[in-house]
Amino acid sequence: MHEISLIQNIFTTLEETFPGRMNQLARIRITAGLLTNVQPALMQSAFDAVTATAPQYAGIKLEVEVTPVLIYCDDCKKTTEVVNYRFVCECGKPSKKIVQGEELMISQVAFSDEI
Amino acid sequence: MNSIKPKSNRAPVGSVQCENTTLNLLKANDFVAKAVREKLPGMLVINICSAPGSGKTTLMQETGKRLAGKINMAVLVGDPETERDAVRMREVGINALQIVTGGMCHIEAQMVLQALDHINLEGVDLLFIENVGNLVCPAAFDLGEDYRVTVLASTEGDDKPKKYPRMFLTSELMLISKADLLPYVPFSVEAVTKDAREVNADIDVITISSLKGDGMEQWCNWLLQKVAEKKSSAPVH
Repeated sequence: MHEISLIQNIFTTLEETFPGRMNQLARIRITAGLLTNVQPALMQSAFDAVTATAPQYAGIKLEVEVTPVLIYCDDCKKTTEVVNYRFVCECGKPSKKIVQGEELMISQVAFSDEI
Repeated sequence: MNSIKPKSNRAPVGSVQCENTTLNLLKANDFVAKAVREKLPGMLVINICSAPGSGKTTLMQETGKRLAGKINMAVLVGDPETERDAVRMREVGINALQIVTGGMCHIEAQMVLQALDHINLEGVDLLFIENVGNLVCPAAFDLGEDYRVTVLASTEGDDKPKKYPRMFLTSELMLISKADLLPYVPFSVEAVTKDAREVNADIDVITISSLKGDGMEQWCNWLLQKVAEKKSSAPVH
């Protein structure tokens, strides 16, 4: 994977979205669908590596939440979790309508008023 | 959940304010991919993905030979290093440009957009983007293509669709390459097709041998049909 560039992307995105508040940033939560192949331990290592060389980010915590793949079935109108990468609804009909599991986003940020 | 360690040595008396966001980390790539699409109306763009050594470049060479005189084809070929693949394609007369990713494990839409300024695409009907050999990372990056085609060589083993599901999930077609080696390797076309269709029920499957020619006509017909569909869907100027 390309964790370092993802981490750099996180900081670029946050700097664009919250200019002027970066020095209060305390925690970042990433939500990564199972299909993104993001490994929390590797993301954490990359995050540590990036923040170690960027004093302005010191102390910021990273949380990575991996979400399961969910598909929606047009026939029975149900949402089913994909297990073992079988993209088939409980009713037996295949479905590629992914409602969760492909996303890779910053889902929450916490700012501290301590500073 | 809402308390954190303060950065100073003071006791945590301050409050923490949480903001829920939905900031897509691939937003920039998706934005550029859209720009690539808009720049190439009427041209079929195919993103060719596979592991290293599956025969993507040989496939491009043989496809170019067979389609010569029928349609105009061009190739952008990505590799972490060297211009070797583009040179191989030019040797057989294909309009090809190398994208050297500088060690990166995948092509990003920005690299494609930049490359478009350095290749003559006038009159081109079909543009291939030969991705970096990797079944993981390229799956996450839209390059502005119409279809993704995944090449899986018989020598790689028939267990790949379940191991690299996202790649097969997002592919329109799985090309089983090096079919001439099927009698010598433990690879079941039936098993790999079953696994691929559990991941992606709609995936087309064609078995080919670029070197011996098996399946090449079927593959070229698949391409010609998609080119025709793309042309007929493009707005008339």
